[in-house]
Amino acid sequence: MIEIRFHGRGGQGTVVASELLAQAAFLDGKIPQSFPFFGVERRGAPVTAFTRIDDRPIRVRTSITRPDVVVVLDPGLLRTTPVTEGLTSGGLLLVNTPRRAEELAAPPGVRRASVDATRIALAHGLGTAMLPIVNTAVLGALARATGVVTLEALARAVEQFVPARPSENRLAARDGYLGVRNADPGAAAPAPAPFAVPAPLDRPEGPVASVSSEVIHTAAWRTFTPVIHLDRCTKCNFCWKFCPDAAIELDADGYPRIRLEYCKGCGICAAECPPKTIEMVAEA
Amino acid sequence: MAKLTIPAQELMYSGHAACPGCGPALAMRLLLKGLGPRTILSIPACCWTVIATPYPTTALGVAVLDNAIEATGASVSGLRAAADAMHLKDVEVVGFAGDGGTADIGLQALSGMLERRTDAIYVMYDNEAYMNTGVQRSGATPQGAWTTTTPVGGGVRGKPEPKKDVMAIVLAHRPAYAATLNPSFPEDFDRKVARARSIEGPRFFHIFAPCPPGWKFDSAETIALGRLATDSGIFPLYEVVDGRLRITRKTGELKPVAEYLAAQGRFRHLGAEETARIQSEVRAEWDRLLRRERDDLSGSH
Repeated sequence: MIEIRFHGRGGQGTVVASELLAQAAFLDGKIPQSFPFFGVERRGAPVTAFTRIDDRPIRVRTSITRPDVVVVLDPGLLRTTPVTEGLTSGGLLLVNTPRRAEELAAPPGVRRASVDATRIALAHGLGTAMLPIVNTAVLGALARATGVVTLEALARAVEQFVPARPSENRLAARDGYLGVRNADPGAAAPAPAPFAVPAPLDRPEGPVASVSSEVIHTAAWRTFTPVIHLDRCTKCNFCWKFCPDAAIELDADGYPRIRLEYCKGCGICAAECPPKTIEMVAEA
Repeated sequence: MAKLTIPAQELMYSGHAACPGCGPALAMRLLLKGLGPRTILSIPACCWTVIATPYPTTALGVAVLDNAIEATGASVSGLRAAADAMHLKDVEVVGFAGDGGTADIGLQALSGMLERRTDAIYVMYDNEAYMNTGVQRSGATPQGAWTTTTPVGGGVRGKPEPKKDVMAIVLAHRPAYAATLNPSFPEDFDRKVARARSIEGPRFFHIFAPCPPGWKFDSAETIALGRLATDSGIFPLYEVVDGRLRITRKTGELKPVAEYLAAQGRFRHLGAEETARIQSEVRAEWDRLLRRERDDLSGSH
């Protein structure tokens, strides 16, 4: 049995990727299984999905904690999520990135592969520059790097099951297949978790969650950044009042300042600003 | 420092896990501004359980009890009894549940809490479907709305049944205070929280809480859509104190509901006939509110 774990962000087609892979494996005559992690399923938020492939019926139904392959659809997650958790010697890390595979940090003995799926997706008009749909290009790369499904089966699964643009997606899968780059095993230390989870308290009646959520930065959710032109600001504080993330504070003179580490780029401040002094600018 | 029209204190922290442009997130932020730090929240399974508490963090600077989806009303009665037994002074006990956890699954517990005259505030934040689990229809989903369980196509035109009137159910229990609140009107929102805090007994808030992914509109439009909901009569703002109803926002002529419906993908399939039917229902409900307000004022109900 091969266990594959996908990491992406809400809206990138991560769950669809895990399903397409399972469909392709089925067309190859294998017995697959796929399902997403039931968690914070929010637009822009980190998403995890799983695919298992075997020649026999699969009885296990749990999340994949010791994957053979980890697929990362968004390179930004390498900074915020411990994607290689449970990945051990002999495994494979495949990342959508313009960087070479040699530049990826992976645990000892883990093979590395990279593919510039964003460039491929945009070349085929899949998604937008802000939110490219990279799943089919990444699957093409996965097929080549692992041999876990054939390109023919993947192309058929894509044609049959993608929600939109089947022929462009099929071409993206082919380009991902051709464009994957491999590297020898890495030797990096396992990625540290973004913050330490304290040991459970020996006091079940005490508070169980007492760390402020401000230790979590949600800037990676953003595709547009608000920029305030303070010269035209009237200090009406509408932006402050309507921010659902409490990500705008007022300075001593009453001017707003955006706490960019928390702003998710919803655009409410720009839409509500009466003198229209806030501009939403595409993330670099 | 600039002059503020709502309290400066922030008891909802950044870094929470709500979607961009989340109506329920803004509702919580405004609510806690008005409630202050001596608040005990009881939150059942709903979007906010997930938003607030990726372990071991919390986005809420107040005490929180996580409870089962059907139990919010019962849990606030228990929390109030415990606070009283511990002689905790100036503590506000607040249940904070979604529309599914209130209108459907938690309805009997809410009724029990109101009937027991528990001194607490029950909040229903209404995003009009089971959004946390991925947009399944609830009793509070409006007629004609698309959800994953009321799909459009094959002769089906979204949810066939009308929205459950939770305020009418609550008012039948004669609460000490009940009001509709909308985060698009923060000053009205804050005034109602302050008003409720000055009153003892069972109190109820119905908060309008737009959901960009579930209702299918751009996250930047949350506030504008909320304004349109109230000014078209879809979500009128009013409060009921001692059985007397008072409308807290009137703008002369109502805006056409077509404008509100057209702004959301979940209503995209509706035709002229369906829109006209919704328009006449909203109009009739608004007239009924105006009549009730007039009757309550003259004391003739």
